[in-house]
Amino acid sequence: MDASYLDLLMAQQEEVTEEAAGGGGVWVVADVVDGSIAAVTLEAIGTARNLADSLGAYVYGVLLGEDVADLAQTLYQAGADGVRLADDASLAQFALKPYLEVLSDLFDEEQPEVVMFGATAQGQELASRLAQRMGGGLIERVTAVSLDEATRTVQGAISIYGGEYFEILACPEARPQFLTVEPGAFPAPFIDDYRKGEPTVLDVEVVEPEVRVVGPAGEFEPPQVPLAQAPVIVAAGRQAGDFDTVKQLAAALGAQVAGDRGAWGAGWIGPEQIVDVRGVEVTPGVYVAVGIRGDTFHNAAIEGARFILAIHPDSDAPIFRIADLCLEADSKEVLPALLERVSVFFRCPTL
Amino acid sequence: MRIIVILGRVLDPSGIAVNRRVGRIFINREEYVLQPADRCALEAALQVKDAAGAEVVALPRGPLPDDDVLRQALATGADRAIYLAGDGFKGADDGVMVRVLAAAVERLGGTDLVLTGATTMDTGQGQLGPRLAEALGCPQIINAWQVSVTDGKVRAVLQQAADYVAVEAGLPAVVTMLPGALRLRYPDGVRLVNVYKGVGEIAEALERWDVADLVDADGLRPLLERRGRDFPPERERGSRVTGTPQDMAQAAANALQQRMGR
Repeated sequence: MDASYLDLLMAQQEEVTEEAAGGGGVWVVADVVDGSIAAVTLEAIGTARNLADSLGAYVYGVLLGEDVADLAQTLYQAGADGVRLADDASLAQFALKPYLEVLSDLFDEEQPEVVMFGATAQGQELASRLAQRMGGGLIERVTAVSLDEATRTVQGAISIYGGEYFEILACPEARPQFLTVEPGAFPAPFIDDYRKGEPTVLDVEVVEPEVRVVGPAGEFEPPQVPLAQAPVIVAAGRQAGDFDTVKQLAAALGAQVAGDRGAWGAGWIGPEQIVDVRGVEVTPGVYVAVGIRGDTFHNAAIEGARFILAIHPDSDAPIFRIADLCLEADSKEVLPALLERVSVFFRCPTL
Repeated sequence: MRIIVILGRVLDPSGIAVNRRVGRIFINREEYVLQPADRCALEAALQVKDAAGAEVVALPRGPLPDDDVLRQALATGADRAIYLAGDGFKGADDGVMVRVLAAAVERLGGTDLVLTGATTMDTGQGQLGPRLAEALGCPQIINAWQVSVTDGKVRAVLQQAADYVAVEAGLPAVVTMLPGALRLRYPDGVRLVNVYKGVGEIAEALERWDVADLVDADGLRPLLERRGRDFPPERERGSRVTGTPQDMAQAAANALQQRMGR
């Protein structure tokens, strides 16, 4: 179909205008990472859009930083009806006090109904302090939201013990309701290129941060986590092919390296790295089994893993009975391709 | 110098089983342990005490049915512990706790440093530390790996992307510790026995305060309420990916990205 008519139609309507101040609304405070809006902020705006549509409210984005004015359009495109912009050299790097004062003044005036942040370090610091200052309730690391329309209360689900089950919390009386949303828990919104608007610029009073960055922590090394408590494990078996690629994959995922008894036999790992009921029993969030056939002892030792990815050439390998995702392939072929894709996603080597 | 360390307890997750199909939680072994992040906070407090000399006071992060975590703190090296109880205190959430703790800090005569865990193991909430910092009107450092105090300043190691940086703030301050950052020392044998038997000086270090003396009944109204539980869908095992090695790698990479929350 020729899309140009559709383009014309859409181009006509979407110049976003906003209402007067003090009208509540659903607000999203943006995280800026490497000069662009963080994915979690866009997810939060998508969620805020859904909530606001049910509440009959507007969605506002708040953007703080230095030279970030261009990013405002991304917020409009993701669904914001209005954007407040605080652009100042003192806000170039996140520091609690300067950011907090800007937001505190803004929200005192606007009296938002709901305020959302990404569940990042910045979002957690700001949300907790603003909630305390304004007397609002805060639900952290929300993975799903629903609306109690009678009382205009947002109900947020938080994961317990890292996802064993969810507890649903709500803040029925106090306003504003603060939420931080877990990265990746909500779908990314549709980016409508035809939405645009003019952000409102806020006055910024320069405030000195209370916490000063001294410099890199030179000799600091994070403590080694024992294999039994590692959050991510990449384990090799006899069919792993090239063990160096396995180690690279582990490094890219920020994971610990382990193996089954066969990998120990091949001399790839030490005896303390054997995943087996007679060796180490593990309970990671993610377990990647590369070329492990999966005998009874090994499979019993990974029963506590939340997600198991298995790569093995034999379609009858017992590991496939307990794995959540099974790749029936030669790991020599799949592993380099997987490593390449994973390196793009996981540039930061921590969980 | 006075250091306040805020400790909580958590039901050991290896003792519970969740049945997603019927939507129930079965508690096979009811054993409570110190919150992992709070353990690190206690160790950090004791390290600062060893290095600079300080009085370490342990307070609970929520309503506790017994004073076990406080006794553990005393046995491990805390100088004083305060058990909080009272009518209407049972349902306290973090908002209420901050009011109670701020009042307790005032009654203690102020503090130089507050240490607590950055997050709870069960609910994953980390607002207590920053909220308390706001209530006390002092700076905060969250998600610290290491803490030390020199020349009236607190210094901590934080992670920024792939690097570790040192940051500094004036006292008083609130610092929250990451779980797994430090390893809690073992309790002293004699102190451990005495604190549980209620013998000697150490047993007198455990005080009991009535919450009603700290905040009025209005201040004990929680902000949040529970609206039920939800369970994730049942796990589907053995789903296979077919196609070329490239397709398989893409599917695997997507699944890993989703699972690891990026």
